[in-house]
Amino acid sequence: MVNINATLIAQILNFLVLVFVLAKFAYKPLLGIMEERKNKIASDLEAAEKAKTDAETVKSEYAAKLADARQEAQAIIDNARKTAQAAHDKIMADTKAEQEQLIAAAKETIALEKQKSLDDIRAQVINLSMIAAGKIVEQKLSSEEDKKLAGEIVDSILK
Amino acid sequence: MGNEAAAAAQEHSGEIVHYLATEVAPGIVINMQTMYMTWITMAVVFVLFVMAARSPKLVPSGLQNVMEFFVDFLNGLMEGTLGAKGSKYMAPFIITLFMFIFIANELGMLPQVGVHWTSPTNDINTCFGLSLMVAAGVYVVGVCQKGLSHFKHFVSPSPAFLPLHLLEEITKPLTMALRLFGNILAGEILLIVLYQLAPWVVPEFWVMFSLFIGFLQAFIFTMLTLTSYAIVFAHHE
Repeated sequence: MVNINATLIAQILNFLVLVFVLAKFAYKPLLGIMEERKNKIASDLEAAEKAKTDAETVKSEYAAKLADARQEAQAIIDNARKTAQAAHDKIMADTKAEQEQLIAAAKETIALEKQKSLDDIRAQVINLSMIAAGKIVEQKLSSEEDKKLAGEIVDSILK
Repeated sequence: MGNEAAAAAQEHSGEIVHYLATEVAPGIVINMQTMYMTWITMAVVFVLFVMAARSPKLVPSGLQNVMEFFVDFLNGLMEGTLGAKGSKYMAPFIITLFMFIFIANELGMLPQVGVHWTSPTNDINTCFGLSLMVAAGVYVVGVCQKGLSHFKHFVSPSPAFLPLHLLEEITKPLTMALRLFGNILAGEILLIVLYQLAPWVVPEFWVMFSLFIGFLQAFIFTMLTLTSYAIVFAHHE
């Protein structure tokens, strides 16, 4: 049952033939495709990792830009508010000044009118009182002396 | 029963397992049964790999998937013992060795219908052929890779270890061959005996177990081969 013979050599040759035939026809494509798949998976994973980091960079960039935009908008709003406040203040001040000017002019006019009226009244009263006094004393008082006297009397009354 | 051919042959030779030893030329005796089964094994391994690798796809399916499973499994073993460079160098040899022994071991477990199936590995010539080739291959690959400094490992860590190393060079192929031969031949003999003792159910369990042993022995032989080659690539990293 255990005879060592030429089969031993034949088996070694058989096996070596199989190794060379398979190495030539089968292993190269099979190992090649396995290597290719390995590389593809590795590169795909790497690409995915890169895409992820890229996306994160873009995201943080957008966040920064958004913050900037918000800040800018706030600045614009603040500025507008300040400008509006300044305009408001100026308009108020102008209006007040104009108002005061108008009031002052009106007061002046009133004072003038009043003075004028008072002067008119004074002249009338002087004439009236002179007429009245002349009638009382039955004689005509027309001298400058009389007129002056009557004026003094009216002034003392009017005061 | 499929065993009739075997039983008939047994009556002729007086042996349970027969090898059809034939004198093909004066003084040159070849076990033809072993030869036929070896050629069938070679054909099966060849067809499996060539069909799997005929138009390899990036997304594998079917047979390509199965063969890639074996190749990947062996690549894992090789990278653990030989390193990346060594495994690339040794891949064709190791993959063929494993698949050849695996298919050879399972061949003897086929139902004995029409053909008298035996494992080529039930012949001591096959087992010694493989183990001696592995042992000689270590020298060939070692000298190719490292030159004569390959022989330094015989005197490491000190020259006192030389006898031990020399003894190992003999015992390694001897044990590898005898382990494989014994397991497979015993499996086949026991199967034949079981068929004669209890022709129903019982042998089927033994076939299942033997199929597992076939894988295990192929794995063990490959693993021991890898450890022999590991010294060649150990300092090459």
